[in-house]
Amino acid sequence: MANIADIRNEFIREEIEEFLERPEEIERTVGIFAKARPAMQDIAAALIEGENDTVDRLTAAALEDGIGALEIMDDGLIAGMGVVGIKFRENFIFVPEVLACARAMKAGMVHIEPILSASGVEPLGRVIMGTVKGDLHDIGKNLCIMMLRGAGFVVIDLGVDTSADEFIDAIEEHEASLMGMSALLTTTMPNMGKTIEAFIDADLRDDVKIMVGGAPVTQEFADDMGADGYGKDALACVELAKNLLSAEVEA
Amino acid sequence: MDSGSRSVPSMNGRERVMAALRREPVDRTPVCNPTSVATVELMDLVDAPFPEANQQADLMARLAATGYTELGFDCIMPVFTIIQDSSALGCKIQWEQKDNWPTVKMREPIWETPDDIRIPPDFLTHRDTRCVLDAIRILKKEYGNEVAIIGKTMGPWSLGYHCMGVEPFLLMSLDDPGKTKLCLDRMKEATIQFGIAQVEAGADAITLPDHATGDLVSGEYYRRYLRELHIEFAERIRIPIILHICGKTVDRMEYIAQTGMAAFHFDSKNEPQESVDIMKDRISLVGNINNPETLFAKGPEEVRQEVVKNLDAGVEMVGPECAIPLQTSIENLKEIPQAVRDWTREQAAGN
Repeated sequence: MANIADIRNEFIREEIEEFLERPEEIERTVGIFAKARPAMQDIAAALIEGENDTVDRLTAAALEDGIGALEIMDDGLIAGMGVVGIKFRENFIFVPEVLACARAMKAGMVHIEPILSASGVEPLGRVIMGTVKGDLHDIGKNLCIMMLRGAGFVVIDLGVDTSADEFIDAIEEHEASLMGMSALLTTTMPNMGKTIEAFIDADLRDDVKIMVGGAPVTQEFADDMGADGYGKDALACVELAKNLLSAEVEA
Repeated sequence: MDSGSRSVPSMNGRERVMAALRREPVDRTPVCNPTSVATVELMDLVDAPFPEANQQADLMARLAATGYTELGFDCIMPVFTIIQDSSALGCKIQWEQKDNWPTVKMREPIWETPDDIRIPPDFLTHRDTRCVLDAIRILKKEYGNEVAIIGKTMGPWSLGYHCMGVEPFLLMSLDDPGKTKLCLDRMKEATIQFGIAQVEAGADAITLPDHATGDLVSGEYYRRYLRELHIEFAERIRIPIILHICGKTVDRMEYIAQTGMAAFHFDSKNEPQESVDIMKDRISLVGNINNPETLFAKGPEEVRQEVVKNLDAGVEMVGPECAIPLQTSIENLKEIPQAVRDWTREQAAGN
């Protein structure tokens, strides 16, 4: 089993020791960073600190040094965002800090995405994402999209104020089997249920797994509406998407 | 505060709310939603639908009055949305239809830097602020002796989201605290101007939403950026102010209690008893019946249970946690004052 002393980057070691509490997450995170090259640890550390200029520079340098785009994404950017997600979930950091980290991740992905697209790597799945009708808030949705893309999903972003018809049209057009709805307002949350009803009315409900999330949304509300899953944050959204897809494959 | 004391003479809604805001004895706990009780059913009942009821004073007043005449609440709140002041500042608004809320188009910010921030000369005569002022005048004349008329002015943190965009504003708060404070200081003038204008129009109290919620920023952020500003609002807007912040706020309630505001309208994500214990009689609490799961999706019995939980904890004014979903049933809303009356009777009988 990997040991935290195997991680060369001191900042990463401190982050794990200070902010990670769940044994399985410590073990997984230590395992990821212990096997990652020092240059990847440095990218992750810069991302966790929200230093977009540093991530930009280190990512470009790593590619120039011949390190693969996939390795940089997995061992640097996504590994860093994993720590960010845990810190956010546990209220050690809040949305401004997460936005800064997301900005840093984007600075790295600018270099990575064109290479991955050209290489024809098979995506994990196709996800339709949108904020529900009447709601113009999108920070949470955008964080989920970034994490989903980072995890290997192709995401079609419908933006904000998305009607049930727009969700249905997108599912059919892109032949996606997974979608996520977000709402920030308690006043617009009922539109999640209306959208699910529209899928039932269109006889499409069995063809698509539906995830919901957003600050006021709870597991209970998701269950009442008939959603297939609820994600508390962007990290949970990725796990949920993977679980729903694998359940679909098994079925 | 003494909720439901036999020694307190019978009060009307206005007396009850004002006493609760001062943390003085009341004949029973007032029922109050300082954000909005507008619903589609109520719009149909008095023929005052959205979006017009947010733009025309007579319709706004007519719909707001149903909070008292139909639901039996102790206050009337005509400012259903959080967009009136932002619209007057120049933000683009998506007005929506009867069954949906108008929203600021925050993806199209109007300001980027502190130097961009200008309160327009017509800020208080713009259709959407004037509508509020005129509605308050109408309500004051018709119901001012019976129930508390509550106005609403948005705090600078919320105006920052609306006018500068949520993401740019939050990133600025991290990248450049000095610039952020300058922006807040300039935007606060809109908060104060609109608040004072509503006082002059006849408002008994003012709700001040300022969405520094725990779902977005830390309690430390509230202390750093907003505590002093909120103290200033309490000093300059000289009627009771009800601060409203959605979401988790327990970690900033200590700071909120230090502001001199009269009350804090709190969300169901915070336990009533824990919240009361933190506030320690320094500021009244208003809330915190859950909107999406209880008022919207469940029935009167579940509503009653949440009312009783708040009353048992000593929450000074009971009502929904925030503006209610527009499809909420009248039956559920009427259960709130009924449950309060029943609880008060039971307490009196037990004494």
